[in-house]
Order: sequence, then C-alpha cells, then structure tokens
Amino acid sequence: MPSFLKEFFNRNGTGMGLTILGLVLFWTIGLIILPQLSMLDFSFRPNLPPPEIGGPKDVYTLENYKYLIYGPEGGSQDYNTVDLRVFFRTLVAAVCVTIFNLILCYPIAYYLGQSKGSHIRIFAIMLIIPYWINEILRAFALRIIFGETGVLNTLFTGLGIWDTPFDFIRNDIALYAGLGYAYILLMIFPIYNVIESLDRNQIEAARDLGAPWWRIHWRVVIPYAKPGISSGCTMVFMLSAGALAAPQILGGPSSLWFTQLIYQQFNDNNDWPQGAAYAVVLLVTCILFVLAMMRLFKVNMGDIGK
Amino acid sequence: MNSSFLRISIWVYLAIFFAYLLGPLVIMSITAFNSSSFPRISPWECLTFQWFTELFHDQRILNGIKNSLIIGMGTVVLSVAMGLAGALMLTQIWPKLRATYYTIIIAPILIPGVVLGISTLVFWDRINRMLGLGADSVLSNGVFLTVIGQSTFIASYCMLVLVARLQRYDTALTEAALDLGATHAQAFRKILLPFMRPAIASAAVLAFLASFENYNTTTFTFGEYPTLTIELAQKVRYGITPAISALAFIIVALTVFFALLNEAKLRRQELVAAARRNATVQDLGGKIRLPGFFAGNMAAVLLVVFAVATITVVGTATVYSPDQCIANVKEQKRLEAERRIQELRKQREEQRKQREAQEAEQGGATQSAPKPSNNSGFGGVFAPGALGGGTDAEPEAEEPPKGNGGFGNVFDPNSLSGDQ
Amino acid sequence: MSAGIGVDLENLWIRFGDFVAVRDANVHINGGDFFSFLGPSGCGKTTILRAVSGFLEPSEGNVLIGGKNMKGIGPNKRPTALIFQNLALFPLMKVWENITFSMEIKGASAAERRKRADELLDMIALPGQGDKLPSELSGGQRQRVAIARALCAKPDVLLLDEPLSALDLKLRQHMRTELREIQQRVGITFIYITHDQGEALTMSDNIAVMRAGVIDQIADGKTIYNDPATAFAASFVGENNVFRGKAKRVMGDEALIATNRSGELVARISTANRGKLAEGDDAMMFIRPEAFSVAPEGASGDHFVTARVTHEEFEGNVFNIFTEGDGGKEIKVSIPNHGQSFKDHTGQNITLEYDTRNAVVVPAGELAAE
Ligand SMILES: Nc1ncnc2c1ncn2[C@@H]1O[C@H](COP(=O)(O)OP(=O)(O)O)[C@@H](O)[C@H]1O
Ligand SMILES: [Mg+2]
Repeated sequence: MPSFLKEFFNRNGTGMGLTILGLVLFWTIGLIILPQLSMLDFSFRPNLPPPEIGGPKDVYTLENYKYLIYGPEGGSQDYNTVDLRVFFRTLVAAVCVTIFNLILCYPIAYYLGQSKGSHIRIFAIMLIIPYWINEILRAFALRIIFGETGVLNTLFTGLGIWDTPFDFIRNDIALYAGLGYAYILLMIFPIYNVIESLDRNQIEAARDLGAPWWRIHWRVVIPYAKPGISSGCTMVFMLSAGALAAPQILGGPSSLWFTQLIYQQFNDNNDWPQGAAYAVVLLVTCILFVLAMMRLFKVNMGDIGK
Repeated sequence: MNSSFLRISIWVYLAIFFAYLLGPLVIMSITAFNSSSFPRISPWECLTFQWFTELFHDQRILNGIKNSLIIGMGTVVLSVAMGLAGALMLTQIWPKLRATYYTIIIAPILIPGVVLGISTLVFWDRINRMLGLGADSVLSNGVFLTVIGQSTFIASYCMLVLVARLQRYDTALTEAALDLGATHAQAFRKILLPFMRPAIASAAVLAFLASFENYNTTTFTFGEYPTLTIELAQKVRYGITPAISALAFIIVALTVFFALLNEAKLRRQELVAAARRNATVQDLGGKIRLPGFFAGNMAAVLLVVFAVATITVVGTATVYSPDQCIANVKEQKRLEAERRIQELRKQREEQRKQREAQEAEQGGATQSAPKPSNNSGFGGVFAPGALGGGTDAEPEAEEPPKGNGGFGNVFDPNSLSGDQ
Repeated sequence: MSAGIGVDLENLWIRFGDFVAVRDANVHINGGDFFSFLGPSGCGKTTILRAVSGFLEPSEGNVLIGGKNMKGIGPNKRPTALIFQNLALFPLMKVWENITFSMEIKGASAAERRKRADELLDMIALPGQGDKLPSELSGGQRQRVAIARALCAKPDVLLLDEPLSALDLKLRQHMRTELREIQQRVGITFIYITHDQGEALTMSDNIAVMRAGVIDQIADGKTIYNDPATAFAASFVGENNVFRGKAKRVMGDEALIATNRSGELVARISTANRGKLAEGDDAMMFIRPEAFSVAPEGASGDHFVTARVTHEEFEGNVFNIFTEGDGGKEIKVSIPNHGQSFKDHTGQNITLEYDTRNAVVVPAGELAAE
C-alpha cells in the first residue's frame, strides 16, 4: 500500500477512510471522468439502432465530425455552412457577453468590495435573489420586457420615440441581454471576493501619489483582481457558450445557438453519436479557448473557482 | 474630478444596474395580477388572481413540482456527501496529486450543462446495456439519471462551500477526540460534523436551488419525470401565459422572504454575540439583556413589512372578485372586435367590388386568391414568429375564433403581434 | 514512587520521507515520573509525543507503555491523554461537555457527566464555570480545562505538548507549580514537552535534552545543569561560557585544555565523557557566569582567565561583567550583590578565577543557537 494511502487510513480510520475514498472515486471516476470518456468514445461511432450496437457495424468512424465540417454526404454544399456558422456565432457571442458582463460588473464589484456599511449586505441580497430564481423564469421575464408588445416597446412607442415596435428578439438583443443577465452574479462574486481583500491603503497610497482614478484601477486594482476577473470571465464564457434555456426562449427563430443543434440531434433527430460529437467539439473548443486566454493573460488554473 | 459628481454617477450607475437586475422580476411579478391573457403590465386591464387559480389546477406544473422535490432531495444528499468527501480529500491529498485532483473536481462547474447531461445519458445507457438490463431499469430511470447528472457539478459547488470552512478546521480537534477514546466515526459525528454544520446547511440550500432550477443537464436526463423547470421551459417555449408569472411571483416572494429571514437571523446572531461579549466583561452573573429583534436590524424590519404585504395580498385575493371588471373589459373588447370586423367586412366588400369591377373589365382569370389558413388549434397566438403588425389580420378577421379561456381574443393586440 | 505506568522508547526512528525527525531514541520513563523532553523548537519533541500517543507510526523501533508494545494500537485505544500545544478544546461544546467528552463516548448519562465535571472543575479551581464556552474563558482557565478534560479520561500517562507556551510570564510561572501539584496528586506519569529550560528544571524528575532529532542526555535537572553530557546540553540548559580548544593532557577526572584564547586551563571532564576524551581531541570547556569570581590583579595559573572588559551591567541581585571571549562571543561573569562596592572595569583587563570542579569539559560539538 502506498504510504499516502496508509497515512490516509491512519488518519481517518478504516471505515471513514473507505467512505471518503469511495465517494470521491465515485464522483471523480464514475461521474466525471468515465462519462466524458464514454461520450468521446460514443462520438466516434455510427448511429445504430440498439440491437446493432456492439455488432459488426459498430466500428470507429470520423463521420460525425466530418458532418459538422462538410455537411451530409452528397449534400449540395462543400461545407456545412449552417452548423459552422452557428458554431462560430455562438463562440463570438459568448465572448461578447463575457466582455459586456465584465464591463457591467467590474464597477459594482469594486464598489461593493471597497465600501463598508450595512447597505452593502442589502445590495448583496439584491444581487443574489435573482440568481435564486429559475433560469427559465428569468428568461421569461426578459421576454415579457422585450416582447413586441412588451414593456420596452410599449414604453418607447408610447413616448413616440419610435413608431413601430422594435423586434428585440429577432435582432438577438433579447438573447444577449438574457445571457448577460443570467450570469451577472458569477462575474461579480469572484471579482468582489478578491477586491474585498485588497488593502484600501494601497489605493490611498496611489491616490496620494497623484495617480488619476483610471490609472489606479489599471495599475493597482485590476492586476490585483486578475484572479477574480479571470475566474468570472471563464465561468461566464463557459456558461454562456453552453447555455440552452436562454437561446431557446429568447433566441429568434432563425438564430440558433450551438447547444440547440446538439439538443436537436439528440431529441429531434435521435442521432446520439452526432450530438455527442457536437458536444465534444463544443467542450474541447471552449476549454482550448479558455486555456489560450489564460495563457495570454498569464493566469493560473488554481485561481479559477476561488 | 468633482467628488459629488462621482458620487452621483455611482448612484445612477447602481440604480441602472439594479433596475436591470430586478426590474424584469418585478415586472414579471406584476403581470401575474393583470387579467390580460398575455403577461404584460400595459394596458392594465383588471386586477385578478385567476392566474394563481389556474396555476394550482395545472396538473403538469404540480407534477413537475413533485418531481423537482424528489430529485432535489436526492441531489442534495448525494452532492453534499460527495462534496464533503471531496473537500476532506482535498485537505489531505498527497501534495503532488493536489493540483490534478483539484482540476478534476472543479471541472464540472466549467463543463457546459448540456455536455454533462449528454455524457451522463450516454455513459449510464452503456452501463445499462453492459449489464443487460432493460429500458425500464433503475439505471435508465429519469430520477436516477437526473440526480446523477446534476450531482456531478452541484457537488463541485458544495465542495467549494465546504472546503472554505474546512480550511478553518483545526485537525487537532479530531485528534483530541480520538485521544480521548472516540472512534473515527464518533470524532467525525461529534466534532467535525457540528463544526461543518453551517457550511453543510449552506451547501444543501445551494444544492437544492441549483437542482431545482437546472435545465441544461436535466433536459437530457429527465426521461419520464419532467421537473418543474422542464415543464416551465415547455410552456414558455410554446406559448406564455400569466400563470407562469403567477408561479414566478410565488418563487420570487418565497426567495425574498427566506433571504430576508436568513439575513435577519444572521444580524440578530451578530447582535447577540456582541452583547454576550460585552456582558462577559461586565457582569459574571450571566444576565445578558438580549437586544430586541429589531434593534439595528434593517433586514428584520423589511421582513415584517414584506410579510404584512403578503398577508394583505392574500387576504385581498380571497375576497376580491374581478368578475365585473373582466366582464367590462370583455364587453369592450367584443365591441371593439365587432367594430373592426364591420370595418374589415366593409373594406373587403369594397375591395371585392373593385376587383370584380377590374376583373369584369379585364374579363380574365376567375380564380379567387387562396386563403391562407391557420390550422393551429390555438389560432394565431402560436404561429411561429408570424403576423408581425396588425395588417396581416385580414384573413382571420372573417372568422374570429371564439375567445376560449386564457387564449382569448384574436384581436387582443398581442396575438396579432405573435410574440414568439 | 514507581506506582504508575512507565513508558519506554526502544530504538525509535521516525522519518518523514527522507527527513529524519527522530533518530534512534532510547528512553526509559519511570511510572509516576514527571518526565520532560527539552529541546529547541523543531527538534522533534512533538513528533515523539505523537508517536507515544499513537498519531504516528514509528518508522522503526517500538513504543512500550507499561511494558506493552503499542504497535498497531490506535490513539483511541492507548492509555494516554494528550494536551495539545494549542489545547484543542472543542469550541462548540460547553466547558463541562468538553471535560467529560471521554465519558460521553462511553455512553455515560448526562447526570453522571455533570457530577464528574463538577468534581474536576473544583479540582482545577473553576467551580461553577461549566456552562461557559471555551471562548469565554481566559488563557489560563482554558489551560486548566484542557488538563481536566485529559484527566477525566483517567489516563495512565498524561502527555503535555508545551502547554504553557501561550501564556504570559506570570501565569506561566504560576502554572508550573500548579501542574507539579496536580501531578503529585493524581500520581500518574507526566511526559512534558518544552523548549523552556526553566520549566523543565523546576518541574521534572527527569529530563531528556534533545537536539535535531537526537537525544543528547537523560538525567535529572541538577545533573544536566552541573554535569552536561554534550556541548549542546551544556550550552542549551542555563547560561554558559564556552572556551574552545584541544585536550592537552587528561589527568583522571580532569583535563588540561589548551584554549584558543585564554591559555591552558584545567577543568573536570563531565561524567558521561570520562575515559572517552583522549589527549589531542577537540574539546570545549564550559564555565557558568556565577562560577567565576574576580581575582586579585596579577594572579595567574590554570584556573585564571584574563580578558578585557567590554561592558558591565547592574541587574539588582547580580552584577554582570562582560569581557571579550572566544569566537566573537563574550564571556559573562555574574557577581552576587552583597552590597559591596563595585569598581567600573570597562576597557581594562580583568582576571577571573574559578573552581576547577565548576568547569566541565566535553568533546567539541554543536552549540545551541542563541
Ligand atoms: N508531518 C510531517 N511531515 C514532514 N515533516 C514533519 C512533519 N511533522 C514534523 N515534521 C518535521 O519534523 C521536525 C520536528 O518537528 P516537531 O516534532 O514538531 O518539532 P518540535 O520539537 O518543535 O515539536 C521539524 O523539522 C518538522 O518540520
Ligand atoms: Mg512542537
């Protein structure tokens, strides 16, 4: 028995040690690693009816990945432009949502992190409450607002600012607002946590030295808050790229989100391997993108989730 | 820069921010009380509680709530257990493995929920096949799959909450218990668990809420057991009614209530603790004068205001009857509709006359234009994205569907806009 | 009084990876003794204690309690109770619950536990404080609760890991006597760990002096003070002046040391090194500050040291003279204050005299850090 395990059982006792180890192994291997591997494996197989699974036709193939790039075999186009466009649009939009959220949330996080007083606690509750409300209902709420006869259109047409209702949904404004809305808290909290631990004196010192407020942020606060910022950005990016509810509810009829394609493959086309392949592509691309960004901004993996 | 200008701009910014954050919820809640069959606040028709009644008679919603509760319980138990085990492991794992281990257990937070749902489905389907079990086995049961799928990432949240507290735990306490003769299990139960209790409670609440509102993962795994969120998504995608607003209002109210309750409790504990600290210095008799529940406790005050408001609303709801108002509005709408039908008929008549005149002149084609038909049972309301603006209403105007229940009148402006 | 249960360490080695925390320790502790491990911080004292209480498996060798090998017996099965360096009182339990935790484990009723708690609270002079939380007690009170909690388990051996280090000086001195009294009253074996030689000397029947995982000497306090076995023990316990040099001649119990700086001096070879110190060996001679007296000017010989005075200080009961010494260190001389008049020697040479029986020679070795 390796000395680490021996020490582990010494410290926790046999019974407790086995319970802890069992739960951890079940979680990490049974729920995290094996299902992902299984999905990866599945994405390389053809779509077969259940009796044929494991049969002679069940061989590894790249066809599911080819489909994303070249479209159906013998299709009219050289490339699967529809799906590819959805894919890139999803990524770009997720980046935009992330940036929008960062710009929106940084001032609030800074304000909350640096102010004292009991109103901060009330603000914190006001921040958390929306997050406790169902994701679907939050999207629904935005739909009431952005709908053609929704609050905004009624307001603006009523005020005579524009005369025909503006279609927020078809123009994806509702979708972006909804995605931004959904993940505000995930952006604020990591940044807030870091900024809260920033010594006020550092800011005072910089101010004493005559630095203008934007330079204080640029040179003192932002470098300090970098782990929180990257943590928040990573989460918002991953979650908005992987969002399903908001695009389904707030997306216009023509503007699909990549997750919706995956959903269609599973539920409408009943082509699980194809859906799995799309899911793998989404996961791998997002991870690579995040890793690349972390490289670019020199952030450690260990900072995420703090 | 002028500091009062800065202060004002901060407050303006905060106001806009919180308007963005809370406005939608407030507006949605208000729409639950408008009798208009489309959720909105203007034009305000009548104050009504009918959407709540409708909500409570919706079997699918009720069933969804039941499933959500069952799945939520399962997820809470499994993910708190795994999260605690994961946190304990994190504090003792061999240093060389720590970074890898941390990456693995934190990864589910970042993996898109859709991917988790798919991988859970695919993996357990395979296990199920490998074991030669049928499609009705436990492993392919919607409740099992959903609990498993959700726990995969909810356990990571729990782990983060728990490890934060665990880091402040002095392992010497466990050793002291062992030294005094306790078994490992006793030391865990009597020392570590009580210490972790607040964090476990937070983790459990977090896990339950996360499970309750999860959509992305559940949508692939729910099988025969649609949760409330799934049901809501179906409803919202295929047509929205203020009954959903009513549900949202209830959830918002409950959330606000519990948030305030919790805050008031925390605040009170703080005040009591402060009083106790002072008291131990001052008097040994232990005569601690508890501060009033409200003293310096804004959250408690808000809580009471909120409770009173809720009671008022519920009280009003039981005695208030909006029938007259609704009847008035209906009557008005009917009149309006009739007027418009008349107008349209007239227009149509004139057009036909003109056309006939033209055709007669040209002596040409005799076909009449094909009528676009709408074969959706609910009329125009659900036509995908269609019928923007009022001008297309023409074809339907000839045969207005009877305003049945919530889906109301075609002339209701919202249905014309086909808000899809 | 050897009524209690004794503890033996046999060829005990404890390693953490490649790092050796305890090297071949052999210790016999009599039952009913107050036994101290004394050594600087980081020398492996806690490690030994953890091996005795069962939290650490020795890498090699055995721990015997009452003659019984403890291998494979967990901490909850050993007849020991440990008082932790930070006390480790259970923060969420009231004082009385803390004290009687060992009874709760065994399923004793609340009434029984209350009764026992009251007895123990009386014993530690905290009557009526059972319903407080540990956080509501002062440091000294907490200390006593930790002792009561350990005693409540009726251990045969009580292990104390620097229990007084967190207290202020006054309280520390008070607790020394109190601990010693408690030990004498309950009559069980106490194994006490400290880096404070004053604590070790005042309380212990026997002391083991430790240096970086090695036990240098085991003896009673007087022996360790007067007859140290190693240079480390001589320099760590009490103040001492060191004179480095070579053994020029060994004459039975005494040796003539050619010191680097102060000429040839005679001193007693410490008991542990008799017969071991050979002529020509590197040696160290130690003379305590109070063993010197000021000699008349011009005196010389093999028990006189002449050096230049750098400064002097008056401490009330003693008068300290510091002179230039060996290896950059000063020689300290303490003259008891009998009310005689002192002459200021600063800048002058002074001749010091000592009794050769009060100077000990040990083989050259590592000195304790200041
Ligand atoms: N679990 C451990 N792993 C590695 N090294 C340890 C461990 N415990 C103690 N040590 C090392 O062993 C040496 C002795 O530690 P300890 O017994 O705690 O000293 P002290 O005499 O101050 O109580 C120290 O150098 C310490 O760093
Ligand atoms: Mg120690």
